[in-house]
Amino acid sequence: MGHDTAEWVFVAIVIAVLCYVGVDSWIVQKAVEDVPANAEVIKVTGQQWYWSFEHADGTKEISTLHVKKGHAYVFEIYSRDVMHSFNIPDWVVFEDAVPGHVNHAWFAPDTVGTYPIQCREYCGLLHYNMRGSLVVEDDNAT
Amino acid sequence: MKTLIAISIITIVALALVPQLYFAHAQLAQQTSEKQYINLRAEVWNEFFRMTTAAFTVGAIVSGTMIWLVWRFRESNPKNKNPTKWEHLEDPTAGSYEDEGGH
Amino acid sequence: MVLELQKPRPVWQIMFSTHHTDVGYLYTITGLTFLFMGGVLAMIIRTHLFFPGEGVLISDSATFNRIFTVHGLTMLFLFALPVANGIGNYLVPIMVRYKDMAYPKLNAIAFWMNPVGGALLWLGFADTTWVSYAPYSIIRAPGPAADMFIFGMKILGISSILSSINFVVTILKCKHPDLPLRRVPLFAWSMFTVSLMTIVAMPTYAAALIMMLTDRLGISAFFNPFAGGDPIAYLHLFWFTFHPEVYIFLLPSIGMMYEIIPRFSRKPLYSQASGVFAFVMLGIIGFASWGHHMYSTGMDFTTKVVFMIGTLAAVPASGMHVFNFLATMWGGRIRFAAPMKFAVGGIALFFSAGAGGVLNSAMPLDFITHGTYWVVGHMHLFLVGTIGFGFVAMIYYMFPYITGRMYSERWASVHFVAMFWGTVQTFFTQHLLGLEGMPRRVYDYPPEFTSWTQLNQIATIGAWIIGASFAVFLASLIYYAAKGKPANMNDPWELGGKYYYPVEAKNPHGGHSGY
Repeated sequence: MGHDTAEWVFVAIVIAVLCYVGVDSWIVQKAVEDVPANAEVIKVTGQQWYWSFEHADGTKEISTLHVKKGHAYVFEIYSRDVMHSFNIPDWVVFEDAVPGHVNHAWFAPDTVGTYPIQCREYCGLLHYNMRGSLVVEDDNAT
Repeated sequence: MKTLIAISIITIVALALVPQLYFAHAQLAQQTSEKQYINLRAEVWNEFFRMTTAAFTVGAIVSGTMIWLVWRFRESNPKNKNPTKWEHLEDPTAGSYEDEGGH
Repeated sequence: MVLELQKPRPVWQIMFSTHHTDVGYLYTITGLTFLFMGGVLAMIIRTHLFFPGEGVLISDSATFNRIFTVHGLTMLFLFALPVANGIGNYLVPIMVRYKDMAYPKLNAIAFWMNPVGGALLWLGFADTTWVSYAPYSIIRAPGPAADMFIFGMKILGISSILSSINFVVTILKCKHPDLPLRRVPLFAWSMFTVSLMTIVAMPTYAAALIMMLTDRLGISAFFNPFAGGDPIAYLHLFWFTFHPEVYIFLLPSIGMMYEIIPRFSRKPLYSQASGVFAFVMLGIIGFASWGHHMYSTGMDFTTKVVFMIGTLAAVPASGMHVFNFLATMWGGRIRFAAPMKFAVGGIALFFSAGAGGVLNSAMPLDFITHGTYWVVGHMHLFLVGTIGFGFVAMIYYMFPYITGRMYSERWASVHFVAMFWGTVQTFFTQHLLGLEGMPRRVYDYPPEFTSWTQLNQIATIGAWIIGASFAVFLASLIYYAAKGKPANMNDPWELGGKYYYPVEAKNPHGGHSGY
């Protein structure tokens, strides 16, 4: 055993762990970026300092978003002034709202309840208070 | 020495794999119970827990090694009474690892 | 080398000196001053976040936003860079065996830009956050504050380019002919690497700042989406500079550990070659990963994968440093004096921050961690845990050589235990806070989120512990510089060797008095 054999072994182990991390996150990212074809579009617009939503049928909502359990939704995220970041922490929905760009995020809620919506990119004075709520309702209500 | 290293590598790999199998199993169970969409939140959090398992496994090894190093090679350890072979040099850090020692 | 406190000089003689030890001294003192100023801001922020609901300490969010912006700018550009340059000024000429830096006047100029830039940042007190993302910084950030921020950063950027040129020339051209580059001590190698990185990275940000300024003046629209620009361009320019800058902050502290660990292990370094290799690798690969700060801006899958690979590629080199440290300690006879305590604590925290960094680089986890307190915890674990510990270790290491007196080992131990405990408590907790979903840069959070409240309070108590440890540090620096026992200059830590770096033995020019 030479002086640096141990170091080579160590580096090889590190690289093996990193390959595992890389491959695993590749697989998961590929899976979660795949938006279901039948997902309903909800337009999300961020502006200082609230969120507004527009459903596919034209219904508009401010700060509170109502969706139905068991459906897939894709968010089209716009910004009207500075950068915001649309985030529903409980549903791992997160994408920046960049003025001049349209970004996408999707989710398919499977439990009923009320969840916070927030802004995760610094956007000025009331960034901390740019909150809304997501209400997931039972489908059979309609 | 070689067998020791081989055994420890195998142990590390085994330790890292066991929770992975568990998570993979949990994920399969999840998928069968699902209707039509992948559960985005479960996918991402499962990924997170797999990664933390790996990180904490490596972390346990490295921090364990560090604690042992600090305990074993502190100068107050009774096993460490004798000066190292480099300490007869004017500057021990200028020594080398060659067998003949010295500068 | 010794700043002869026994034979005091008038302060203006130090201030207008161009000698490398004097400039190094000024850099270090300035850096430490700003450290304590930025630290006060940190204490205000953490204390404020102890109480959710109505602002107890800070009554409006504008002030809060300004405070965390200036805290970040101060710690990064007015503490981390100046202290690294200061220690570099002290040691690099000695390590390459030259009488001074290559361009002494340029050196002094580069230093004197720091107080000017610092004054602009502190008097402006901007609220753009240290990243100052367009278009907020262009169309919304108020008045002269943001412009003063731009000019302050501009001056600090020029200063760091000038000092980098100086280090590169000193190491390449003024190195003693008998000293091959590969034998140059690793601290000098770290300064060499970061200087090259600064020269490559910094001009991009300098250009982005000018573009931001003209955008603010309304005569261009590079980043203003309402006049045809693209804010994403700013993010690319910014992170192209500032991801490498992360390594620019980090590597000097790793270099300092390379100086301290073999010394206190009474043993040669495990491998000079792998240290050099790892520095150079980090210097190159550091430029391949800036996009991981931008996963959520609508980046496509392929780009994400490229940047993820670039990020992961930097990890083996960091791992080689850790391995090198541990292998150097292995088989030594370690004296745990204060510098060694801080260096070893720094390695432990460097490793945990790095493990968190590997998690960050996994693309799907960006959904959970990006823009939350996880990131705050992660980067503070690097900045306090690695850079802070490395610098503090080096300051204790240099203390006898600079003052001619010995610090108190007992108070240094108190400082170490409190700082380590506080760092772990504050920044590990902030990781958890991020997983709970708390966004960063928030003035307030809803009191009904009890888990946020509890974790914030734990983190705040940890921050107070860090603050207390630094109060101990400051008091003991001042007290023992004036009243400490005279140090044994040949062997301040009684390690038994006859020679320590900062003293003349390895210097072929003999004594290093210089004035």
